[in-house]
Amino acid sequence: MTHTSPKRSLLWATVALTGALTGALAMGAAAQENDQEDEVGLTHYRLFVGDHADNVVRAIELEDGADAGTFEIAQTPALTPSDSGRTLFAVQGDAGTVATIDTGIAFEDHGDHADISVTDAALLPATIDGTTPAHVIEGSGTIAIFDDGSGDVTLFSEGDLTTEGFAPATIPTGAAHHGLAAPMGDYLVVSVPAEDPEAPRVGLRVIDTAGNAVGEVVDCPGVHGQAQSARVFAFGCQDGIVLATPGAGAEPPVLEHISTTDLGEGNVSTLKGGKAMQFFLGNFGADAVVVIEPGSDDPFNVIPLPTRRVDFALDPAKAQNAYILTEDGQLHLLDVLKGEIIQSARVTAPYSMDGEWRDPRPRLAVAGDHIAITDPNAGLIRVISTATLEEERTIPVAGTPYTIVAVGGSGATD
Amino acid sequence: MNRRNFLALTTALVALPHLALAQDRLTVVTSFSVLNDMVSQVGGDRIDVATLVDADEDAHMYQPTPADARSLSDANVVVVNGLGFEGWMDRLIEASGFAGSVIVAVDGIATRDMPEMEGHAGHDHGAFDPHGWQSLANARIYVANIAQGLSAADPAGAEVYAANADAYLAQIDATEAELQDLLAEVPQDRRTVVTSHDAFGYLGDAYGLTFLAPQGLSTESEASAADVATLITQIRAEDIAAVFLENVTDSRLVQQIAAETGATVGGTLYSDALSGPDGPAATYLEMMRHNVATLAAALKP
Repeated sequence: MTHTSPKRSLLWATVALTGALTGALAMGAAAQENDQEDEVGLTHYRLFVGDHADNVVRAIELEDGADAGTFEIAQTPALTPSDSGRTLFAVQGDAGTVATIDTGIAFEDHGDHADISVTDAALLPATIDGTTPAHVIEGSGTIAIFDDGSGDVTLFSEGDLTTEGFAPATIPTGAAHHGLAAPMGDYLVVSVPAEDPEAPRVGLRVIDTAGNAVGEVVDCPGVHGQAQSARVFAFGCQDGIVLATPGAGAEPPVLEHISTTDLGEGNVSTLKGGKAMQFFLGNFGADAVVVIEPGSDDPFNVIPLPTRRVDFALDPAKAQNAYILTEDGQLHLLDVLKGEIIQSARVTAPYSMDGEWRDPRPRLAVAGDHIAITDPNAGLIRVISTATLEEERTIPVAGTPYTIVAVGGSGATD
Repeated sequence: MNRRNFLALTTALVALPHLALAQDRLTVVTSFSVLNDMVSQVGGDRIDVATLVDADEDAHMYQPTPADARSLSDANVVVVNGLGFEGWMDRLIEASGFAGSVIVAVDGIATRDMPEMEGHAGHDHGAFDPHGWQSLANARIYVANIAQGLSAADPAGAEVYAANADAYLAQIDATEAELQDLLAEVPQDRRTVVTSHDAFGYLGDAYGLTFLAPQGLSTESEASAADVATLITQIRAEDIAAVFLENVTDSRLVQQIAAETGATVGGTLYSDALSGPDGPAATYLEMMRHNVATLAAALKP
């Protein structure tokens, strides 16, 4: 493995995350305003792009398209960022390993604000090795990597990755299968395989961190796809979803199956969780999405799409916005509150969903006021305005840009 | 239809919306239960008020829902505490498209600085303790801000809001006298207590009490093992008599500290949320009475 990266100076900034209420909300504290008079705005986003053909992850500065590092790994990766954005997991299932990359962007929380540091991105020495590592899920400060080839789960905290002699704990959950494990407090919610390892998964159950089962299996046939929003996990099933809600105090999480059979043909198998509001957006079959509101009397709102979905993403800052790319090359802005597509624009050439699921197709990442879309056939990242859905610029990328993650934020500095 | 009738019908149609507006009550959304009670007291029958974070729920950890955003989009007024207490509110307001007025209840109080936040990394971030309602003197300012904000949004009701505020302020004054009496018998060397999170600084300043908390200003923060160890040492060294649970926080850490130090668990304090209607802190003033009575009972020799 090699790592090349341009040298960048350490830059400290103060970021007002969500504490500083805007407009009239901020007028209450004159002293706060004085504190911010000396500060200068800063926005820094960095993109990480997995190549479809070459075994590399490329880091690119969103602002100017500058090279921020190229990291050679064993295989085309699936990319999953940590919740903090400080670490990127490059999952290489067939190669039996997960590489870890320090994104170079870190926030230090101070309650009403956070400090951001921007340094070089770097490949970390820590790797998580196994038979076929797959899903990476973070919850309650613990990261869980499920190994499809063994049925084991590797558990660690983000801070562990930079400690000398990184040796994460591994616990068995049962037989090998294409599964998942979601950390919730002192427990894990894990998928339960069928007796026949080739048959679809049958459900979910809670286990403790020693691997002991807690409570009964909750049916969730073919469980696939999960997301977290406001400490609640949602899991996709062939006949509905399962919501996992944290228990009170030291109690285990509570699992509840909610059927989608009344919604017509289709099921949820991919989910994203709202960051600033508690909701989930899932697919519903190939050519519809569904907004899921836990706790609501009418939790599902299915929104048909004009053609099949290629990828979708939530806007972490503008909580009402979701962006959906369809195979006709159109990007759609979904208003989550209204449950309506309110704007559409052509952003790429058509990419058919026929063929292999792993064929190179565009993927989306939201970075502030921009949507970064990989366009593998064109060898580009297209930077699209979230306000207008118009293309602002393109960033040429070597190879075949495919998976993409954006990390960063905006704020103020001295 | 002749011309006269047509004109009469047109006039009636134009007048109807104004009539409806005059009869409509102001729709107010508050961020959490303490504000909801204060706003109900001041707004009286002229407003419909609803809260986002309900009784016994933790505003620090709250995550708004799409339904919350929709309720905001229909509201005339939103009342927030401010000082970063509702870190989720600015994004919720943006998401909802809310176009009414915002009342910041904490506006104008003498804010408490948080010493550990000063001079950080060479610059002062000006972090303030947001739990202003834990002092009745601050509550007077909250009430004035609420009355002023409601009057601005509904000028026709200004006199009603002013009268309601005056009546409520009289209740606050009476409660203040009760609290002073309750604490009068607590000696000076028994006025340090432990709670889960740092929510009672303004109460401590008002009545000469010192509150120690392993968890810091927000229930979102995690207490470090070193902080807990330091606190346990301090409890033993200063012979701190009582620790208190909170209605919105996990009690395990404070229970553990009590077990290790032998300190008495003095009861449950209501910090960032009222109790339900059948609980001991169903209104703001009941909450203040309950908290101080609970403290006094545990601290009196």
